[in-house]
Amino acid sequence: MPRSALATVRSRTVFAPLDAGGRAGTVARRLIQAITLGLLLDGECLPAESELASQFGVSPVTLREALAMLRDMGLVETRRGRQGGSFIRAPDQAQAGYLEPQLRLLSVHELQDIGDHRAAVAGAAARLASQRALDGDVHALREHVARLRAAGTLAERRRADTRIHIEIAAAAQSPRLTRAEMDLWSEVGDLVWLPVTGDLVAEVTAEHVALVDAIGRADPDEARQLAEQHVLAETERLIKLRLGMER
Amino acid sequence: MISQRGTALLAGITERVGRVFGHVEDIRGAGESVFQAAQEAGRQVRRADFAALRPLVADVLHEQAGLVAGAGVVLAPDVVADAPRSIEWWWADAAARISRLHVDTDPSSAECYDYTTTEWYREPQRTGRAAVTGPYVDFICTREYTFTLAIPVFEAGRFRGVAGADILAGQLERLVLPGLAGLGRVAVLVSGCGRVIASSSASIRPGTVLRGRELPVGLAPVAELTGGPMPWTLLSAS
Repeated sequence: MPRSALATVRSRTVFAPLDAGGRAGTVARRLIQAITLGLLLDGECLPAESELASQFGVSPVTLREALAMLRDMGLVETRRGRQGGSFIRAPDQAQAGYLEPQLRLLSVHELQDIGDHRAAVAGAAARLASQRALDGDVHALREHVARLRAAGTLAERRRADTRIHIEIAAAAQSPRLTRAEMDLWSEVGDLVWLPVTGDLVAEVTAEHVALVDAIGRADPDEARQLAEQHVLAETERLIKLRLGMER
Repeated sequence: MISQRGTALLAGITERVGRVFGHVEDIRGAGESVFQAAQEAGRQVRRADFAALRPLVADVLHEQAGLVAGAGVVLAPDVVADAPRSIEWWWADAAARISRLHVDTDPSSAECYDYTTTEWYREPQRTGRAAVTGPYVDFICTREYTFTLAIPVFEAGRFRGVAGADILAGQLERLVLPGLAGLGRVAVLVSGCGRVIASSSASIRPGTVLRGRELPVGLAPVAELTGGPMPWTLLSAS
């Protein structure tokens, strides 16, 4: 590799700013993650700005900047007056109208890259979980699969699905894989169920049943393969949907 | 010989974890005082009452920095007037700043964190005694491989929740590994369910499960902590 090219790669990786979005961006991402993972609920009132700023360890100015970003995205609404404050506007009724612009922001290559990352994480987590999960862990996973089966809306499916994948990574005894799943799901989790309609719902649900069964049977190869196939199928559906938007 | 040294090693661990339990006892006492004060005032406890625990928890987090990552009380459903469920928990970040944990505990929400099904809540509730849960990946609070120490909180003999503290598994390993390595042979500390907590062998890793009949050749229990909150076993070549 020519020296200049190496220098470019270096400056983009090794010497990239540690926190490109700035502190406000970091705070905003943490809040978005909490909202999309359902840890902060629709209608919930955030703590006072001063309290929230001290919790994040940032200045009130930085916090206000972060809240402004969320307001622009329609995730937070600030009301004035005695009953005022900042309220969460969770995209709970995850509708196509909200999700499609989000999908349009991603290029096909980005979707593929996210899918590859997810497949790597989910595959490794499933393999390790099948080797390390105790009966209690498998039992908890089956409860979350039952919740997915019972789910009636896209938002419910997405939440149950998120939980299943996070619990598999936790059963793998890996905090890093668990955090990777949490980050990936907060980034693109809303989109995963967007192309899943009609008979596909039962099909994708059955994929989770099979995956958890393989983990319960302590079959690492099968578990890894099922997890990877599952994610790659999701990726293909998203790419098809994204390409369809160009027509 | 090995069993004596193993027993001494486990006693050292018990003593160290016991010191943390001492602090959890203090937090439990403070929590029970909150209930008592409310009862004397003729009203139900409110979430805000538990803000009184913050200075004590902050002291614990500072004094046990490096071992205890978070601490507080987690209350039984419907005992707090203004919240169906409530977690009053604080944690310290790398810069030793204390923050309160914010978790969705509203049972009407789809993503409610239902702590009443977790082992660290159920065990003290079931037995009325202290319990150590873990190691497990705690994706709610520490986001790390964690042990949770928990003691039941009572009001006039009725279960009101648990007081607890989180210990990062990596910190506990740092604490026990010199002792394991010092035994001069393969030594593995496993939890009550057979999960490896720490091991002096590169081929036996923390987080993996060693069950009775699947024990690696040459390994056998040489010392056990029985009857206490951590039914841990030391495996070694006897």
